[in-house]
Amino acid sequence: MFQNFRLSMAWLHTWFGLVLGFVLMVVFFFGALSVFDREIDRWAIPASRFEAQPMPSFDTVLRPVFETMQPSADRIEQMRDKVNGPLPERFTVPTRWGAYTTHRDPVLGMFVGYEVPNAKEPETYIFASRTIDPRSGASLPDDHLKIGSGFFYPLHYSLTLYWKDLGYWIVGLAALIMLAALVSGVVMHRKLFRELFTFRPNKSRQRSLLDLHNLTGVVALPFHFFFAFTGLVIFAGIYFPITHTQLDPLHELHEQLEAQETGLPHERAGVPAPIASVDAMVAEAQRRWAAKDMAGEVGFLAVQHVGDANGYVSIYRAGTDRIALTGEGIHFKASTGEVLREDPPSTAVGSVNEFLTGLHLQHFRHWLLRWLYLMGGLVGCVCIATGFLFFVEKRKRQHARQNSQGARIVDALAVTTVTGMMLAALGILIANRLLPDSMPLGWPERGAMERYLFWGTWALAMLHAGWRSGPVAQERQNPAWREQCVAVAALAIAAVLLNWATTGDHLWRTLSLGYWPVAGVDLFMLAAAAIALGAARKLKQRGAAAPATRHEPPEPAHA
Amino acid sequence: MSVVLRAPQVQIAGRIAAALLGGYAFTWGFIALGVAGLFATGMEFHDAEHLCNILGILAFLAVFLWAFAARSVKRVWLVLAGAGGLMAASASLIQHLLA
Repeated sequence: MFQNFRLSMAWLHTWFGLVLGFVLMVVFFFGALSVFDREIDRWAIPASRFEAQPMPSFDTVLRPVFETMQPSADRIEQMRDKVNGPLPERFTVPTRWGAYTTHRDPVLGMFVGYEVPNAKEPETYIFASRTIDPRSGASLPDDHLKIGSGFFYPLHYSLTLYWKDLGYWIVGLAALIMLAALVSGVVMHRKLFRELFTFRPNKSRQRSLLDLHNLTGVVALPFHFFFAFTGLVIFAGIYFPITHTQLDPLHELHEQLEAQETGLPHERAGVPAPIASVDAMVAEAQRRWAAKDMAGEVGFLAVQHVGDANGYVSIYRAGTDRIALTGEGIHFKASTGEVLREDPPSTAVGSVNEFLTGLHLQHFRHWLLRWLYLMGGLVGCVCIATGFLFFVEKRKRQHARQNSQGARIVDALAVTTVTGMMLAALGILIANRLLPDSMPLGWPERGAMERYLFWGTWALAMLHAGWRSGPVAQERQNPAWREQCVAVAALAIAAVLLNWATTGDHLWRTLSLGYWPVAGVDLFMLAAAAIALGAARKLKQRGAAAPATRHEPPEPAHA
Repeated sequence: MSVVLRAPQVQIAGRIAAALLGGYAFTWGFIALGVAGLFATGMEFHDAEHLCNILGILAFLAVFLWAFAARSVKRVWLVLAGAGGLMAASASLIQHLLA
């Protein structure tokens, strides 16, 4: 089909990159923001603006909360068609209690999984979740969206399209295409080392765009490859559910062998039993970690088969000080506190897998690396966005002559996914500061409203980009670029001011207190505003300099 | 896009289908056979799963690129679907012998 290998790779790079690039922009941008998801959470939920807390006492704080937790109305609604007959008023058989925290969490997330009576499929559970202030045990309102960990982060890996896991599959395909684009990009250019030092901003726009595209692609090549690859590894079980379909019998065989080996019961005994002091088990777990020279805090705590004689408590260590996502889990008999099992050290393959996923998910404490991750993600965005712009620049004149709308449409979509996406992200933060604490009767709840306003802002940005895109078909610039840059700056400044007005946490205060989570989000938005204003000024100068007259002889360049 | 033989859109669509669906089938077979085979030879089940996922994704990338570079799309289908099917069948056979 293609004359040679290089041309086939160029075709692949251009067209797959174009189509999936729009998805990749979302994945890279919200992945970059997710690096600071817990900090964005604190900005969005002022009640959580205090220092990160360790796991509180189970016996006095967690247990009373677990015992009152019930699934939310919409979770129950979703469960209706998975059961035969009606659902109970209250769910009474908790199969699992869990609480999870990290070194960046002031508030604590808790969940309970209940058995669902009369479920059509075996092992159907319904979940209740709650966020508490671990200092007092007081619950935070359920309808307050954790914008960082509860919205930007899921956008990063699922686009929040949960129907048939569609979002996961689209993101997975985009990640595969990212890997293919990196390999094909290297094949196309060859002179990798030279790209690192080549940026000619004063050459033709097409040339400087390509320089920037190559530079940002090559400079962070290992970063881009690593993240796309490990992202696929993390969700490989969704993309290739082999051990739950074709090889399910083999998996079952392994589970039975494992239950025998670990001594951790797979099923309830059906005999009620009380829960002994879990605080004593935590103390024992911490003593054992310290004895292994790995003293540490609890990251994840779970009780399995709650209230049953087969119940057991699993305590995992927070991975603050190591890359690999290991828990050093220790398991206790819930009714007596006797140690049932200590997880063995990882095997070689296990260690590799934990290292790969741990380096992607970044649970460890390393602020410099965290910032580098953010920058790496944004460099990826620049790489993808300059790819779009190069595509447009290369074809603009030809399309204008042929009266084709191709370049115009791609340019409008590029506006939507670059500045439009930033507007949407700022839009949800502004909505978060402006919406009432709880929505009036008849309205969607607060968190849902925030999400609607996010998508609404984005849709408006798309309409605007399309409406203003006419000049591209005549080989000129789309004024939406400049207008949306100004809008980004305005919204970013507005978000910072609203944070001040509604919480009193202005920058002077957060900086002088050294409260970096909130100060950092504010400063980041101000930096975005400054860059957006600079870009708007530049675009205005370019627009005034009548770009259509700047025709330099075309240079050979593929993409 | 260079060489245009007949109906280029059809050709392109055929390539894309071969690369994505054929590549998926191949990778499925690769991971399935790897997990069953390694488990049968004594590797811990989840270790086998993780290792084969890691290698499987790299294999998918390789065959995906190859599907566009190869001269004949028929050969791409034959190799990817054929090998994928054979590997998946072997995995089931191993499972049948074990479980």
